[in-house]
Formats: sequence, structure tokens, C-alpha cells
Amino acid sequence: MRGARRGAGRLFPIAIFTLPFGVAFGVAASEAGLTSLQAITMSFLVFSGAAQFAALDFWQAPIAFGSLAMVIFALNARHVIMGAALSPWINQLPIGQRVLALSYLSDPNFADSQPTFQNGEKDAGVLLGGGLILWTFWVAGTAVGAMGGRAIGDTAAFGIDVVMPCFFVAAVVGKMKGRKTFVPVIAASIVSVVLLGLVPTGWNVVLGALAGGLTGVLFRAD
Amino acid sequence: MLTDLTALGAILLIAGITFTSRLAGAFLMSRIETSPKVTAFLDALSISVVAALVASIVAQNGPREAGAVIVAALVVLASQSPVWAMVAGMVCAAAWTFVTGT
Repeated sequence: MRGARRGAGRLFPIAIFTLPFGVAFGVAASEAGLTSLQAITMSFLVFSGAAQFAALDFWQAPIAFGSLAMVIFALNARHVIMGAALSPWINQLPIGQRVLALSYLSDPNFADSQPTFQNGEKDAGVLLGGGLILWTFWVAGTAVGAMGGRAIGDTAAFGIDVVMPCFFVAAVVGKMKGRKTFVPVIAASIVSVVLLGLVPTGWNVVLGALAGGLTGVLFRAD
Repeated sequence: MLTDLTALGAILLIAGITFTSRLAGAFLMSRIETSPKVTAFLDALSISVVAALVASIVAQNGPREAGAVIVAALVVLASQSPVWAMVAGMVCAAAWTFVTGT
């Protein structure tokens, strides 16, 4: 529980910036024909920006459930990678706590928690707390956007749209230590960019990550 | 327009797939025995997935986003602070928009 509070505190500065993204989603959702309640329910239950924006493209009758499912899976497949990377710590927990800690897994709290665990953090609550604070702002933003607060929905103003990639690159650079990390980063980036447009969006990130992981095995120190 | 029931079905479908994706990785790994190879793989995987994500975002956008990401990377090298890196990246992107209007 104390870990959760710590995780929430660490990600608070990032979470504030998910508010305008939530607003942007709420506005886009109401333009796509979702009621406010539906948009808020979606953010409440799904909590995945990429998946939710993509779902809006499918929002017309008759809904193509099969393609929708495949697109959502592709966009979320990197969660599987992140869950695997967290498994050395998460799998020590009893099953209920394991599910709870992973329920709010997303890119920012992964990028924050994984190095924290590696540095000896024992409390998996940091992952959950970070996720919960992001989720709170995401749902709140969606509510504002869906109920007509479009004035603050422009994420490009003030450079808010670059917050996430800047935070992620900071996480990568913060973890870089010599060849052991340099080679995977380069391999993952190259594969991810080369495959962009060749494979459905989302898979390029997954395949890039797997390529980086494999170079880690090939170049391991022992 | 979708009927309420179809909309709810779609929301639950998306939520279900997303939730499953969050749980799947750790559960798959609980069936694999850890070895130095597996540890090295997971180690490299954890930095690679974030790197691949950044590369993909930058490649899908223009010089404005690339510049912001480079500035953020330099600032974190100098300051060790992800928050300052974010702020610097934002200022850079906002300045770009202010100057070029794009």
C-alpha cells in the first residue's frame, strides 16, 4: 500500500498530462457517436489510449467485431512484452495481487517501475499506484471532453503531445549502461522503424522489442 | 449509430482483450524456467520495448517531435531527471509550433 502511494507520487507529474489526452479522447468519442456515458465507461474499463482511439474508427453499424478485436490485440500486444519483463518481480506475488498489480499496466508506469524493481524495490504497489494515478486523470479527462470541454483538448498547443515520447526516451537513456543495453536499444529502434508500414501498427513495436531482447541474449556478458 | 447493446458489447470486447494482454506476459513467463539466458532476454526486452515505442512514435511524426525527443534525451543525460527532460521536450515542441506555426 505504501508502494502504491509512492508509485502514484512518482508518476503524478506525468499523470497530469494524461488529462488533455483524455479530453481529446472524450471529444473524439462524442464526434464518433459515443454517448458521454459510453466514452467514460470505455476509459474506465479499457484504460488504453491507442486502443480506444483506434476503436473509434470502428464505431458504425454493423460493427466489425472480428477486425476490431484484431486491431485492439495488435495495439496492446506490447503489454504482453511488458508483463513478461516484469514477471521476475510480479510472479513472486500471490495470484490476486498479481492480477491487481497488472490491471493498470501501461507504458508510463512500466517505464517507471521496471528500473525501480531492478534497483531493489520490493513493493509491487509502485506499479499499481502509478497506474491508478494515470487512470484517474485519463478517466477524468475523458469525462470533461465527452461532456463538452473541447477548448482544452488541443494537445499540440504548448507541446503537450510530446510529453509521452519525451518521458519514454528519458526512461531509455536512464537505463543505458554500456554495450549490454546499447545494442538492444539500437536493434529494437531499427526493427521498429523499418517494419512501420510493413506490418499492422503495434506489431512493429512488438517485433522491435523481441529483436532487442534477442540481441540481449546474443551479447550477454557471461 | 450503434444500439446501446452493441456499443456495450464492443466496449467489453476491447476491455477484455486489453485486460488479457496485461496479464498474459507474466502468466506465460510463470511457465518458463528462469535461466541466465531468459534473464538476459527479459533484461534486454524491458529497455527494447520502450526504445521501439519511442522510435515508432518519432518515425510517425515530423522533425518537431524528433527534436523534442533528442532534447529530452540530452537533458536526462545532463540532469538525470525525467521530469526536466519532459519539460525541456515540451518547451522545444511549443517553441517549434510558435516559430513555424505547425
